[in-house]
Amino acid sequence: MTTMNMLPLIPEMASDGARHFEALFWYITLTSSAVGIGVYIALLYFCVRYRRGQTTGSTPRILGSVRLELTWTLVPMFVFLTYYAWGAMVYNKAVHPPEDATEIFVIGKQWMWKAQYPNGQRVIIGGNPRNMSESERQSIGKLVLPMNRPVKLTFISEDVIHDFGVPAFRSKIDVIPGRYSQVWYQPTKLGEYHVYCDQYCGTWHSLMVGKIKVVEGKEFDEFLSGYAPLQGTQNAVDGSLAHEGRQLFLKLQCINCHSATPTGKAPVLEGLYGSRVPLKGGGAEIADDAYIIESIRRPRLKVVDGWEAIMPAYDETQVSAEELNAVVAYIRSLRKGTTPDRTERFPAPNGAPTERQQSPQPSGGK
Amino acid sequence: MSIAVTSHSGPAAAPPPEPPTPPVNYLNVSHTIWSWLFTVDHKRIGILYLVSISIFFVAGGAAAGIVRLNLLQPDGAIVSEDAYNRAFTAHGVLMLFFFLIPAVPAVFGNFFIPMMIGTKDLAFPKLNIASWYVFMIGAVCAVWAVLAGGIDTGWTLYPPYSTRASQSNVIPGVMGAFISGFSSIMTGLNIMVTVHKMRAPGMTWGRLPLFVWALYATSLIQLLATPVVAISLVLIMVERVAGIGIFDPTIGGDPVLFQHLFWFYSHPAVYIMILPGMGVISEVLTCFSRKNIFGYHAIAWSSVGIAVVGFLLWAHHMFVAGISFYAALLFSLLSMLVAVPSAIKVFNWVATLYRGSITYQAPMLFSLGFVVLFIVGGLTGLFLATLGTDIHLHDTYFVVAHFHFVMVGGMVMGYFAALHFWWPKMTGRMYSDWWSRMAAAIIIFGFFITFIPQFVMGYHGMPRRYPNYPAEFQFLNVMSTAGASILGIGYLMPAVYLTLSLFFGKRATANPWSATGLEWQCPSPPVVHNFEHMPLVVVCGPYEYALGVDQLGRGLPEPPGSQDDPAHRDGVTGPAGPMHKETEVVG
Ligand code: HEM
Ligand SMILES: [Cu+2]
Repeated sequence: MTTMNMLPLIPEMASDGARHFEALFWYITLTSSAVGIGVYIALLYFCVRYRRGQTTGSTPRILGSVRLELTWTLVPMFVFLTYYAWGAMVYNKAVHPPEDATEIFVIGKQWMWKAQYPNGQRVIIGGNPRNMSESERQSIGKLVLPMNRPVKLTFISEDVIHDFGVPAFRSKIDVIPGRYSQVWYQPTKLGEYHVYCDQYCGTWHSLMVGKIKVVEGKEFDEFLSGYAPLQGTQNAVDGSLAHEGRQLFLKLQCINCHSATPTGKAPVLEGLYGSRVPLKGGGAEIADDAYIIESIRRPRLKVVDGWEAIMPAYDETQVSAEELNAVVAYIRSLRKGTTPDRTERFPAPNGAPTERQQSPQPSGGK
Repeated sequence: MSIAVTSHSGPAAAPPPEPPTPPVNYLNVSHTIWSWLFTVDHKRIGILYLVSISIFFVAGGAAAGIVRLNLLQPDGAIVSEDAYNRAFTAHGVLMLFFFLIPAVPAVFGNFFIPMMIGTKDLAFPKLNIASWYVFMIGAVCAVWAVLAGGIDTGWTLYPPYSTRASQSNVIPGVMGAFISGFSSIMTGLNIMVTVHKMRAPGMTWGRLPLFVWALYATSLIQLLATPVVAISLVLIMVERVAGIGIFDPTIGGDPVLFQHLFWFYSHPAVYIMILPGMGVISEVLTCFSRKNIFGYHAIAWSSVGIAVVGFLLWAHHMFVAGISFYAALLFSLLSMLVAVPSAIKVFNWVATLYRGSITYQAPMLFSLGFVVLFIVGGLTGLFLATLGTDIHLHDTYFVVAHFHFVMVGGMVMGYFAALHFWWPKMTGRMYSDWWSRMAAAIIIFGFFITFIPQFVMGYHGMPRRYPNYPAEFQFLNVMSTAGASILGIGYLMPAVYLTLSLFFGKRATANPWSATGLEWQCPSPPVVHNFEHMPLVVVCGPYEYALGVDQLGRGLPEPPGSQDDPAHRDGVTGPAGPMHKETEVVG
């Protein structure tokens, strides 16, 4: 048996809604426990006090009491109505998203969640790797959400009913084929939280679990604009700027030299962004956006120590400013072990028309 | 307490001395297997049901064992995901459709309703035996589905999973539930007509035992709600075979429609499961505290209230299924209202004990267990009926714990209370007092250990129907499985001592608990037509324990447990004759 970690007394609260839930939950818990314990005490007292040994054996003929019965009908009814009213208020808030919420679309599918951001970035949350295609597996990541900003999630299911539940936000919603459902959150705490599928959906229902990652608003903006690889996937996810850059990287044949199996001609670029690069002839430079752009436009200007100055320059006609942005985003997102191999054939990621049209031939040089 | 009733308006003066077990009774009147299979005697049919549902209880329990053992480890300890899904479905289907629903109405309702209202049999004896056959045919379908590899949809059978995606034996499983539903309708109809038409002279509605009231309310639901589930089950089968798109959105259907249909039956069905238990408790608590029930009318009418209001709140199972905001508001409000009659009953039961003279034989312990566990189950229902809390707790282990507290903690306890209360009447034998009290204590203890951790897990977000779970839930799951093992032992104990009692038990007198109901007027075990002398004229309410008279106005025999206290031995009676006792009304 593995070591068992204990749960905290109160589960993590990471959204506005969670706070409201807890207040209501504890109100009901305390009031109903008070009543329950009161009844238990009465029961126990009667059971001890009036056990056969303590009594004469004869009992009074008590048939009831209208006054008592009215009391214990009306008082609970009143208390229950307070639960109802408060609960309706919390629910009202939970089901009506504010106007300005960022909208994210999520499709439920046996057994994964496919999320898409407004700018087209896509990521698969959780799911069971055993029944995924290669490209789906590549884009398993986290759902990134901004701190202190409302986000609205709109769901639909591709097959059966699922349910998107996030305990840390005290929220869940069924994900139904044929109709849209919605939920919204305002995360209030940085961190990573479980997403569960709460509606039974078949064999791997219990593996339809994933993570939400709450980041600072600024970081989220950066992520949305396609730079930051916050989703925890292996590769830049489909739809992101970095992903576009990756396709250009293949198309422009940068991969021929900067590949995972170094030809000895050029350095591997993973981990480059933000690092200190020693230059030929002394000095060093931090590899930021400007440095990378410069290295593409005018590669001979600053050559990395230990390498030959053989890289061709790419001008406006070969790489537009826009494309350059994407390539930079890709290089930014490259982390250890994610540079493709030059001889590898890349499967087209799901729903990536650009790639299919351009049919990249990474090994086309051969 | 022994009270010699000398003058009373009743038809008989003093109870006749207990005869030894009458030579001919419903059990020994004939011995062939055919005499059982073709019987139209409501008592024998009750026994047939008892035997069959006991088998399903064991089978359903075995499936639960697989589920709980598998949850010992976060990644599944013993079976594959698929096998797990089939196990919890088998557990749900067997326990709900083939144990809980028939348990009290078909076993004890069949056996005791005619006796309690003073008649020879149910209104339609042949329909009664037919209902058992229908039930068994349904059961055969369900068992066939399980043996052929099982069903993996969960007992709720939500489409489109059940109609499109599931690769399992949905059709035979659904057929089983569909067919057994008719048996439920037949039993309900039979009981209703019997209660209306066949009461003994003097057995007015106000003198009906509360068990009869509870089963009357139950029958109402069985009669009105079961056809709806039958329809929805047929639709599932049609959809699965023909794919015409009733619930399939890709061809214009709506999966949420099924949820409405399903819960329109299945929510009232949870009251089919619990109301009979409440009826049992009213009988037992009064008997073992020697008290009149507190608030007879409130309890009787709250049963009917639950039955009626119970029809109006099915959609509280769908607060997060995309029903409209206003629908959610309405169904939540109605759910709050149905909690009120349940609360009334609990308060009344507790008040009944006030100034009683209580003994603790097994039926009483099971009944107190019912009250204690039902309070937890009922109060936690409020969290689910409250919109703001259901959006987190829905479909988690909190729900699992809630309905087990109500249905296992409540109804199964009620069932065991009934079994222990009426066993001497049904078999003519007493069982071991000590072992039966031990069993009750073990069951209550095991129950808490099993299900309290599930509330905590659900509150922390562990979803139901998961064979795998994050490691931080392991401790509580292990605890729950440990509790389930204790519970399992507790449930096996009665099987042993009750069986032994058939061979070695002391012979039971006609009224071993000194209870007031008419069923205790028959010999134990009863003769073929229940009563030796018909018709009976009922002159008293059902619970005149304070007066020490039964429903015919005759004095009660010595209650059990009195001999513990010399002051209450024969001859040293308490206050004057019962009729001089004043009626007290507190408040
Ligand atoms: C009288 C005895 C009761 C019985 C037999 C009972 C039984 C059940 C059962 C079987 C379920 C689970 C259904 C499923 O598989 O989804 C359930 C859920 C539920 N119960 Fe009860 N219950 C009882 C009392 C109450 C009370 C008093 C309330 C309300 C105050 C209540 C409110 C609910 C709600 C709202 C749900 C749905 C929860 C959800 O799925 O999120 N129950 N009950
Ligand atoms: Cu799912």
